[in-house]
Amino acid sequence: MNWSLIFWNALYTSISAGAAGYCLIASGLNVHVGYTGLLNFGQAGFAAVGAYAFAIPVRTYGWDWYWALPMVVICSVALALLLGIPTLRLRADYLAIVTIAASEIIRYFLNSVRFTWLTGGNDGRNQFTDFFQDLNPLQNDARYKLGAQSIDGYRLFMLLLGWGLVAVIGLFVWAVMRSPWGRVLKSIREDEEAARALGKNVLAFKMQSLILGGLIGSIGGLVLSAQTQSAQSGAFATTLTFFCFVIIVLGGLGRVKGPIVGTIIFFFVIQLVDNLLDQATRNGHLPEWLVDENNYGQIRFIVAGAALALLVVYRPQGIFGDKREQVFDVR
Amino acid sequence: MTGHQVTAVRASRAALLVMMMAIGVGALLSASPTSAQEPPPLQSIGGRVQNRFVEEGERVTEPVVGVRIIVLDEAGTEVASAETDDEGRYLVAIETPGTYTVRIDESSLPDDLTVEEGGGEQEAVVAGNQRVTRAFFLGTDTRDIRGKWSLLPQTLANGVKLAMIIAITSVGLSLIYGTTGLSNFAHGEMVTFGALIAFYFNREVGLNMLLAAPLAVIATAAAGSAQELGLWRRLRHSGTSLTSMMIVSIGFALAVRYVFLFVYGAGQDAYSDFTLQTDPISLGSIDLAPRSVWIIVLSTLVIVGVALFLLRARFGKAIRAVSDNPELASSTGIDTDRVVLVVWTLGGALAGIGGVFYGLEYGVKWDMGFTLLLLMFAAITLGGLGNPFGALAGSLVVGIFVELWTWVVPNANDLKTVGALFALILILLIRPQGLLGRKERVG
Repeated sequence: MNWSLIFWNALYTSISAGAAGYCLIASGLNVHVGYTGLLNFGQAGFAAVGAYAFAIPVRTYGWDWYWALPMVVICSVALALLLGIPTLRLRADYLAIVTIAASEIIRYFLNSVRFTWLTGGNDGRNQFTDFFQDLNPLQNDARYKLGAQSIDGYRLFMLLLGWGLVAVIGLFVWAVMRSPWGRVLKSIREDEEAARALGKNVLAFKMQSLILGGLIGSIGGLVLSAQTQSAQSGAFATTLTFFCFVIIVLGGLGRVKGPIVGTIIFFFVIQLVDNLLDQATRNGHLPEWLVDENNYGQIRFIVAGAALALLVVYRPQGIFGDKREQVFDVR
Repeated sequence: MTGHQVTAVRASRAALLVMMMAIGVGALLSASPTSAQEPPPLQSIGGRVQNRFVEEGERVTEPVVGVRIIVLDEAGTEVASAETDDEGRYLVAIETPGTYTVRIDESSLPDDLTVEEGGGEQEAVVAGNQRVTRAFFLGTDTRDIRGKWSLLPQTLANGVKLAMIIAITSVGLSLIYGTTGLSNFAHGEMVTFGALIAFYFNREVGLNMLLAAPLAVIATAAAGSAQELGLWRRLRHSGTSLTSMMIVSIGFALAVRYVFLFVYGAGQDAYSDFTLQTDPISLGSIDLAPRSVWIIVLSTLVIVGVALFLLRARFGKAIRAVSDNPELASSTGIDTDRVVLVVWTLGGALAGIGGVFYGLEYGVKWDMGFTLLLLMFAAITLGGLGNPFGALAGSLVVGIFVELWTWVVPNANDLKTVGALFALILILLIRPQGLLGRKERVG
């Protein structure tokens, strides 16, 4: 067993550009769930829109980045309006069902044989990242050392860009949630009727929250697809949303640092388990009828699912949250 | 690994699953895994070749016998062929989903018949588990613009078939919602569990489906009551909010779904009985495999049985009372915990039946239940959350809507479920309480 490799790789994964993408998507979800009490189970849909709204114009239609970037904003806002109008008036479980359905609709469309000409179908879209490569002050294909991990210049740049965005957006969310606007969101989470009685237009605030969180999720989706240089519908399945739920509940709902710490711990643990199983199966430490090289990769989903259930029951406030903020009691 | 080892590994893993899910029978039987025969592929292209002509002012359609139909893949290589039978029917099994060209071998036509220009070749997009229909007509087109309309009855029949499977599973989901208020996202996994247990007994142990299916239903009923006793009842009694419980069910579903993938693998497979039935039962222009007819009949019987139980039986009335108002029901002396336990057991059993039917009809896959879950939620939301009869109505709408989608938008089979999910969102806009729901439930 190569313990240092197992450890360093897990550590790198927890701060990689991909983790930064997840952190952004989770931060958006935190605006919905943590601050407003909106149970959005379709955050993967916003992420998918972020990735494809950039990749399709650039790759399929050859647009320049300065036209494609606004498309990300437009499509993301459009999706929030489309989701919010029928469901925000309804009870929490309706929103959960509709959002999960909407994210699956989006994924089915992106994956459909019929729209291969537009979306690339099952293969997705690649070669749309010239913008990020040109932006990179480092050499795109030079190798850089990060502890025991060696990565190329593009990945390193995306890592820095991703976490830079996390910092900027985190500061923005922190500031905005301290403002009167943010306090209204929290009051809606705590007691919707009371907020309404104080003359607040609850529906409008919920919609604004859905748009803001969705937009952050779309930016995360763009980072997620840009760092692998490939937008693939398979990456935006419902498990992405569920992972983000684990991340925000773990870190603490309604806290800016929640998603950041949650992401790092989540990916460190998941990758550590993965690496341990990988090494153990390679070296034959585990019985072959139970685990082999083909199926240890599924363990992470089992861990994530169990973690979500256990956290919600035993520690709903996560690491930084406050138990008095009754996020999960909205009805 | 050799093929035999793979089977052995899967058998052992399946045994593990069975033990984990607490039925001891599985462990006893796992010792003798007999590898059953590989069933034929689940995808197929079929249809009729017919000759149309006008005789004494009447439009006549006649089957053309012994015509060779060739199926080519996208590269243009022949993958399969078949000849039409006495009724002009052909059926070609397709190994892998994809886009194919179906062509009439013109040299095999009777001498007096020719293919119209462009009429001897059709494209077919075959998705997993699909039977695609491609009909060929020789002679001049004497029909009015009826081509599409003549496919409608078959589409509706397929819709009813799917609807019955959705109905049988979603009634349980709706009852659980009604009595406990929980939107159980793990209900789909109960469906998969039923299908997988049946698969284990059928393919690994070698039992006939007629034996494997009841065992699977017993297993899912046991899994339902075990869940209630071991998890949900405790959460309810500890004052966990419904939203938390819903998220717990999502985490639970995710974990269990990937346990299924871990144990069963990513492939799609079929039972060894009743799978490829080439001799359909015809009713007018509707062709249904005998198993499909049985599935429709049996589901209808089960659903009528459940409905009568809810309406007439004392205990059924107790269930409806708890759905209406748990506090009031409990103050009139109804043991709500017992009612909920029965509902979970019944819901589990129904999910198991649905899972076996779904597996028979569309194949067994680790995430089949999750795909079905969204349709179930669409159905019960459409019908009005918590109303079991609404779930029935909603299921019919959703099932037919899904199949109708393929009729309205051809070559978009992989977008089937999208139509139903769209319908769900639309209904929420127009009538948020659902078809049979009551307004105050929306709140």
